[in-house]
Amino acid sequence: MNGRVAASLLTTWVLAACAPRESPAQPPTARWRAQIEQAEAASRRGDRREATRLASAVVDEYARTGGKNSTEHVLAGRAYVLLSTGDAGAARAALAAFDVGSADSANLEATRRTGSLFLEKYNAPDARSSYESVLKRAPNDAEALLGLAQVEEFEGKPTALATAHKALAANPRLVGALAFVARMQLEAEQWDSATASARRALSIDSTAIAAWSVVGAIGWLSGDSATFRSARAAATALQPRPADFYAELAEAAVRTRRYAEAVTLAQQAVAFDSLSVRALGVLGTNQLRTGQMEAGQSTLNRAFALDAFNVWHKNTLDLLDKLKTFRTVRRGRFEVVAPAEEADLLAGYVMPLLERAFDSLQVRYGFAPPTPVRLEFYRYHADFSVRSVGLTGLGALGVSFGSLLAMDTPSARDQGAFNWGSTAWHELTHAFTLGASAHRVPRWLSEGMSVLEERHAQRGWGADASVQYLAALSAGVLRPLSALSEGFVRPRFPDEIGFSYYQASLFCEMVESLKGASALRAMLTGYRDGLGTPAVFQRVLGMSTTQVDAQFEAWMRAKFAVPLTSISGERVMSAATGEAAAANGRAPALSIAPRGAFIEAMTSAIEALKQGPRDSARTRLERAQALFPDYAGEDGPAWLLAELARNRGDTVTALKQLSIVTDRNETAWEANLLEADLRERRRDVTGAIAALERLLWISPYSNAVHARLAMLLSTRGDHDRVIRERRAIIANQPSDLLTARYELARALAASGDTAGARRELLQVLEQAPSFEKAQELLLELRGKPHVDLHS
Amino acid sequence: MGLSTVAGAVVRSQRLSTAVVCGVGAVAALMVGAARGEAQRTHVLVVSGLSGDPTFRKSFQLIASTVKEAARERWSVSDSSLIVLTEDSLPNALSRGRSSREAVGAAFTTLSTRVQPGDVLLVMLLGHGSGEGPGSKVNLPGPDATAADYATWLSGFTRQSVVVVNAATGSGDFLAVLKGPGRIVITATRSAVEKNESVFAGFFAKAIASDESDADKDGRVSVLEAFRYAAREVVKVYESSGRMQTEHSQISDSTRAMTVSFGKTVVSNDPRITALVAERQALESEVAALRAKKTAMDTTAYDRELERLLLAMAEKTRAIRAAGGKP
Repeated sequence: MNGRVAASLLTTWVLAACAPRESPAQPPTARWRAQIEQAEAASRRGDRREATRLASAVVDEYARTGGKNSTEHVLAGRAYVLLSTGDAGAARAALAAFDVGSADSANLEATRRTGSLFLEKYNAPDARSSYESVLKRAPNDAEALLGLAQVEEFEGKPTALATAHKALAANPRLVGALAFVARMQLEAEQWDSATASARRALSIDSTAIAAWSVVGAIGWLSGDSATFRSARAAATALQPRPADFYAELAEAAVRTRRYAEAVTLAQQAVAFDSLSVRALGVLGTNQLRTGQMEAGQSTLNRAFALDAFNVWHKNTLDLLDKLKTFRTVRRGRFEVVAPAEEADLLAGYVMPLLERAFDSLQVRYGFAPPTPVRLEFYRYHADFSVRSVGLTGLGALGVSFGSLLAMDTPSARDQGAFNWGSTAWHELTHAFTLGASAHRVPRWLSEGMSVLEERHAQRGWGADASVQYLAALSAGVLRPLSALSEGFVRPRFPDEIGFSYYQASLFCEMVESLKGASALRAMLTGYRDGLGTPAVFQRVLGMSTTQVDAQFEAWMRAKFAVPLTSISGERVMSAATGEAAAANGRAPALSIAPRGAFIEAMTSAIEALKQGPRDSARTRLERAQALFPDYAGEDGPAWLLAELARNRGDTVTALKQLSIVTDRNETAWEANLLEADLRERRRDVTGAIAALERLLWISPYSNAVHARLAMLLSTRGDHDRVIRERRAIIANQPSDLLTARYELARALAASGDTAGARRELLQVLEQAPSFEKAQELLLELRGKPHVDLHS
Repeated sequence: MGLSTVAGAVVRSQRLSTAVVCGVGAVAALMVGAARGEAQRTHVLVVSGLSGDPTFRKSFQLIASTVKEAARERWSVSDSSLIVLTEDSLPNALSRGRSSREAVGAAFTTLSTRVQPGDVLLVMLLGHGSGEGPGSKVNLPGPDATAADYATWLSGFTRQSVVVVNAATGSGDFLAVLKGPGRIVITATRSAVEKNESVFAGFFAKAIASDESDADKDGRVSVLEAFRYAAREVVKVYESSGRMQTEHSQISDSTRAMTVSFGKTVVSNDPRITALVAERQALESEVAALRAKKTAMDTTAYDRELERLLLAMAEKTRAIRAAGGKP
């Protein structure tokens, strides 16, 4: 959308605070306070008209007479806040009033409200600065600590919950902090804790609608209709048209990946309050996530018109404008939407893969998601991130909202950063596991199944055990299954998110190996039936959560018994540790340092390599490999041993070592390239083709790889794949397009598709009539029957 | 091949710029004239300035080598017409000597004694640019030569096609200073201000040294084809790396650049081949005329006619080959 500019609180301020200050008849403080409290109460009831009437009266008087003291400025600011829906000027006026109030250093409320307004308008740095300013003067100001926690949550910092607990330590009866903690616990799917926190808030203030919303959300999520109904009744008593309650429910539904239901709940919220930006935002965002593109855009436009500060909505609307330039390829059960220049290339590979995945997953999970499944590719990771969460900075590669998937294009990251084939398979798996569980499967298990399916899809795909993971296992820092979701949303150390994916996949692997694939399906059915994880474990595995945790720990230790004898982990706290780091919301200070004989062997081998004695290095690398034979990481022995072998001309050993890498490491570009070279030299065409095919899923942009693969495939008479490769070269927009199209014509002709070849040649020669090789092929095709195989 | 010398430049058939259908006789007459003309030759001067850094040094050497090899292998340029000067003070396999201002001037003098009317002179400058307007320079060992100096040195080459490629950074102002009749000036940047590291030179060298840039697949790479190829590849580099493009190449005379290419012109004296070439050229003109009518024609009829013409052209090519000619 051209000219769409998110408003900023730092632009022009309305100068109501500087209005004439001459002689108001009486000090208005008490009257204004009463009016504002009534107005805010009306707003909480959902009576927007009354709130506006009362707030407008205060604002009018403030504009006429100005405030006489900081208290009045703050009251005026609160009035402006109530009038700020759809009025950016009122928001700015509120800020101006709070700012004037803040000039009185004793008035901490003014600064707190400044922080709150900044946060409400998505300006976290200034909000943080305001709260920190309060805390400098009053280190135990509970409300400022709560504000800071909210800022940290906004910024995605892992310290938010800890800061909220500090607020509660300062004031255990701070209802807002209790409700905030309850919501954080709800987000982490810790329903018991969340319920306890919310109930505690309500025991202090039974009118806390935020706490009722959490209780209602838990009732709704857990299928406890009695709790849900009572919470709704309480909320309705407080707010006859409980838009906030339903918006909270909708958000809870989103957090548990129940996007279609989120749409329904948000629609209900909007029906109660058509001016609720929050409700419109949840509705629009999730309409987009469920493939309702036009409706979603329209809803977000309404939301943005009411709140021009909302960066999520602005980003998403801008992205939707960009999406109009993308191209959609529809085939079979899928729609691939990608930047126009890449759509053909990516669709050419990913659509057959997805069809294969669909067939496989349908059998494994006994479920088929609605089709077409839409997969959106984004060349800029920031765009993917906005599509996923409305903001830039999301670390993930892909996302699944059910039948709508989104992911980075391979070009969005450096070559070798990820495998786009396994990522697509992973995201599609979510569509099945979410659907089969009616979107009730917890995140950790859904991720575990997706990674497991990556491993089933193709040898080498999916995460594998790393030295760091085994060190963490050895050090006992991995979370039990019952708390594994926390590992995804609140990692304690940098690698924990990745470890959580892998750990979850190992649990699924264990279940499958011990109980069969049907057990995974049965778990999804259990969640679909409304069971919680303990009940699902009991029903499907016949064990309590504690028993499952113990069994899983033992299973992992048995699986990795060999490498665990030589790898241990040491907990290390970085220098920037403790409360200072936490207070600044910095990354967790904990890290796990791998120790043990494997590390020592690798360290000494690398030292030997640096100093030159190759035989000594090889011996040490072989020792390291004996300690952890399956390790295929870039920092492992196999790749180095392969290079040493190649350098001394020992192709057999080089290939053996390379296979260790390429069989287990899905992003090993160099290793696959070298393997293809060596196998081709040894006339192992099948092996070379396999290595080149693996490269395509790391990066499909190398025309040298495509051309080589086409050449090898043609020696096998695999015409279909030759044609695929020739088309891929064209889709990659080669420098010499006409030659690429001529090669495609040759491939088509070789496959017997004389009509396709002739068509291609005519187009080539139309551009370059003197192209001799193309002329020659045209002559060869003359007189052959028009057979059309690939149109 | 339908090539003849006109105003000193190698001119390919007019098919690229006009859809006019030439009569066979007229083309044949033109070709007869061509057969009587001197074969056009190419002369090359590559000046590689100060690198200032081992990476640049390696890159400049590679580019100079590529151009030198192309000149020798593809265009059959004799050693006496092929001068490469680099920052190295002593001659070596690549360089004839140091690329001082004096040596560059001397190289022009040497080449001026070698060239014939109708020949092509390629001057390629590599390095880091500085200065503006007529004072623009490519940094050389010792005093730098300015654009004005090059203008002076080139002033004697009035009967040749002169192609100046200043592939240095900040080279843009050379174009205005050097452009003129019979000259094609290419610069890696559009101004003296674009001074960031440039990738144009490598792609231009690749373009003139391979068939990849031969857009119309007629077996010759015109200066325009090479320029367009390099410009396109430069854009790709910046797009694929997500960087803002900080170099924008420019060319002074794209019409002339379409008609000039490097290498010896091979003109057959065999009247059978000459006739076949002329017939093929006439067919090619018909293809051009047909293309011009494409939007007004029924698709099937267009395709049928196109295929008929292309097959006829292919037959002519085959016949030229069979007669020992080079299409």
